[in-house]
Amino acid sequence: MLQGTLDLLILQTLIMGPAHGHTIAHTIEQRSEEVLQVEHGSLYPALHRLENRRWIASFWGTSENNRKARYYRLTAAGRKQLLEHTNRWDRLVRAVNRVLRPAKEET
Amino acid sequence: MGWARFFRRKQWDAERARELDAYLEIETDENLARGMSSDEARQAACRKLGNSTLIREEIYRMNSIGFFETVWQDVRYAARTLAKSRTFTFVVIVSLALGIGANTAIFSLINAALLKMLPVKDPEQLVQFKVVTPGGVGEGFSYPAYKEFRDHNRVFSGALAFSKFYDEPNIEVDGQSGRAKGQMVSGNFFSVLGIKPVMGRLIAPTDESVAGQSPVAVISDDYWRRRFALDPGVIGKKVVLNNIPFTIIGVTTPEFFGLQPGEKIDVSIPITMKAQVNPSFAFTGTRQDILAAPYRTWLSIMGRLKPGVTPKEAAADLEPMFHASMREAAASLSGLPFDSPAVRQSYLASKLRVDSAGQGLAALRQQFSKPLWILMTAVFLLLLVTCANVANLLLARANARQKEIAVRLTTGAGRWRLIRQLITESILLALGGGILGLLLAFGADRSLVMLMSHSNSPISLNVRPDTTVLAFTMLVSLFTALLFGFLPAWRATRLNLTSALVDSTRSAGRGGSRSKLGKMLIVAQVAVSLVLLIGAGLLARTLQNLQNFYPGFNKEGVLLFTVNPGVIGYNLDQSARLYERLLERINGVPGVRSATFSFYSPLRMLGLLIPKIQEGTPSSVKATDRVGIDDVGPNYFKTFEIPVLAGRDFAPSDRAGTPKVVIINEAMARQYFSDRNPMGKHLTVPGWNGDPSWKEIVGVVKDAQNRGLRESPTPMIYLPLFQFPDEALITFEVRTAISPLSVSNAIQRAVKATELRLPVFDIKTLNEQVDDSLVQERLIASLSGLFGALALLLAAVGLYGLMTYATNRRTGEIGIRMALGATRGQIAGMVLRETLLLVLAGLAIGVPAAMASSHLIRSELYGLRANDPLTILIAGLMMAGIAVFAAYLPARRASRVDPMVALRTE
Repeated sequence: MLQGTLDLLILQTLIMGPAHGHTIAHTIEQRSEEVLQVEHGSLYPALHRLENRRWIASFWGTSENNRKARYYRLTAAGRKQLLEHTNRWDRLVRAVNRVLRPAKEET
Repeated sequence: MGWARFFRRKQWDAERARELDAYLEIETDENLARGMSSDEARQAACRKLGNSTLIREEIYRMNSIGFFETVWQDVRYAARTLAKSRTFTFVVIVSLALGIGANTAIFSLINAALLKMLPVKDPEQLVQFKVVTPGGVGEGFSYPAYKEFRDHNRVFSGALAFSKFYDEPNIEVDGQSGRAKGQMVSGNFFSVLGIKPVMGRLIAPTDESVAGQSPVAVISDDYWRRRFALDPGVIGKKVVLNNIPFTIIGVTTPEFFGLQPGEKIDVSIPITMKAQVNPSFAFTGTRQDILAAPYRTWLSIMGRLKPGVTPKEAAADLEPMFHASMREAAASLSGLPFDSPAVRQSYLASKLRVDSAGQGLAALRQQFSKPLWILMTAVFLLLLVTCANVANLLLARANARQKEIAVRLTTGAGRWRLIRQLITESILLALGGGILGLLLAFGADRSLVMLMSHSNSPISLNVRPDTTVLAFTMLVSLFTALLFGFLPAWRATRLNLTSALVDSTRSAGRGGSRSKLGKMLIVAQVAVSLVLLIGAGLLARTLQNLQNFYPGFNKEGVLLFTVNPGVIGYNLDQSARLYERLLERINGVPGVRSATFSFYSPLRMLGLLIPKIQEGTPSSVKATDRVGIDDVGPNYFKTFEIPVLAGRDFAPSDRAGTPKVVIINEAMARQYFSDRNPMGKHLTVPGWNGDPSWKEIVGVVKDAQNRGLRESPTPMIYLPLFQFPDEALITFEVRTAISPLSVSNAIQRAVKATELRLPVFDIKTLNEQVDDSLVQERLIASLSGLFGALALLLAAVGLYGLMTYATNRRTGEIGIRMALGATRGQIAGMVLRETLLLVLAGLAIGVPAAMASSHLIRSELYGLRANDPLTILIAGLMMAGIAVFAAYLPARRASRVDPMVALRTE
């Protein structure tokens, strides 16, 4: 998986509201149409890294079926970061598309 | 933030574990809901999550700072490996302890004598006033000038004055006499310095206000302990100081020793008691009153700068006041016997300087700064030799550990990681050496301070460890560790893995280049040791030259002692009569040949004044030229065995009422009477003892050393003390037919029989006094000799180790040589030749290096040049000799190799 993609996916997921690790993992798995196969465990170091950068914050809460779970939410800095990353990603994708499909662009 | 996470990494880990558990629970719940069995549900959840331990480790690492995480591991590992090879560790730590200990010992002396600030409040704000005259820098100011500075400056928060008793006052406690180091202080002395009493009160401004009316004394904590056994009833106690009753009012805190490092002040009294405790020449109530005459400069002044004021600004602010006081001083001379245009000019031409004084008075610094820095250089060289030695040991050890290191490299350890591990070992060794060295240093420092002291006035320096010294030792240890640790570590981790793993240390890897490095270290070691040895040799021969030097008087067989009748209330005339009676008594003691006395103790002549010649001073003499002067007793030259070249010695008949006479030395005769015969001419010395009359020259004597052994004798004028009674501290010199110390008791009894109350002090032989004048020379000669010997020893040990190692490695080769017919002598010769080659290489570097650097100690040398060939030759021979000695054992072992055994093991 591309470096930083997972970070971006996590931030994107959290924009809908706070979620715990299990939810985040499943959401990413579904939303990336299972193209991005995440071993759910590898999510946690990424969560930790994002939290260290203060892009997300965590708190203990109760899950849907009454289990104690650690919830994450997006911080203001994280929101800004997501916006920036999304823009950059869009630019990158456009650039890659221009290179790979020049003819189609022209038509 | 990084550190916060680092220290909380354990809690984080627990938190993560719980979070992962929560994931598993939720996932298991969902799997159960999908209809799996509970076991299946759990397992599927685990699969989905992945390896939870790995995840936690990854997060743990993110929180950790890799370097610190592994330092502790490294330290434990290093400690374990070192504990396994005890002998190696012991040898390394002991040699490092010698090197580091020597550095710490000398540094703590430098720290105590040269660097430490005074133990007073904000010492960096303190400044001392200096008077710069064409003739030199002085520190004396008059009492009126001090009061002017104190009351009218804009730059100080306080200005204090003090004056040391130049002779030690006699203090009678419950009828018992005893000497003490004393000073007279201004009323604000203690408050400006910020000193607090441990008991009672300290001298206050009110004690200074009325002259002679405040007989109060403050004693030091040390004196309280020594003299009063910490008696709490000491406050209010009456003591008699120089025959004047005083009351002890307070005790100062233990850390306060006075303002001069190296000297402890026992007693302080108000400066306005000066006339009472030193009545001679106080001239109270006259134009020459010690407390009122502007020309009488006897006080040292220190100020505490207001925040933000620099010493320069302070000097500028005080300059007008200073010049006014100097003009007043010059004017106050008019009509006095020693007034002259030259003296007045010296007042008017002087300038004020304000120096930082946070480290206290400079006396000790001036005396010992050069010798201590020389010694610091010597111990640094010694440390280099130690490092080379230890590096060589580490190289040999690395060789023994080749396999271990090879295994670790092949199983994936990074090279830098291994170097770090090896350096951790080095640091551990160095710290061990540092700690042991610190202990050695503090054991040695007391003896070093003794070595710095004169026989009768010990220097008291606080050499207890402080943070500066600890930090220094720490730094030196770390520096040492890198110095001796890096190269071997670098070399040890550069291995040819296959051959290192295959077998046999003998055929392994890069042994050849390792011993090349070892040889280079030996050469460096020999070179540095030689520099040290040559320096030590030059200093030792200097001391020897000075000891063998004939000072112009016979120093053997003379007993010295000092008395001061002033301290028991004698005036000048009474003192002179007492000396007469003392001489009579002492001359009657069996074993005494002749006795005399002098104002200055031998080799401690200080008085330099400008003489006037009645018959005219030759034009070759400059107006500022000064001559030495001393008041002496009858038979002075006979007692000292100084030859009288013309005329006569002083006789008991040179007394008050007889024609006034003087004797001069050859240098004086040469300079002031070059082409004339000085006999029968007349001179006088303005300012010496208030007697302006002309005195006839009745004798010329040979020059003798008078200001120490190194300085060539100054022109001298000797006056008979009986004709010119002078201030009362007098040294008696008694020449004896037998050993001087064996008549010491009889002489002391004779003194007691003459005047029971007269305290006698500084009893020693003239020989000891001459030795005392060499205290610096002896200090650096003996210590640099010791360090030189240590370096030599270390070099020998290093050489022995290297040659042993080299011959062991070559056992096979030696076996082949012997099998081919080499004799035992040839084999031993081969080993010795190799050793000598190394030593010669070391000498080839060391001799030029020593010659290039020995000029640094040129000013300390006497009677030989900095590149004295004999010293260099002796040092070189010693080096070569000790090297051959060190190589003898391995050479012999090599020659005893049994070719059969050697070849079979190959």
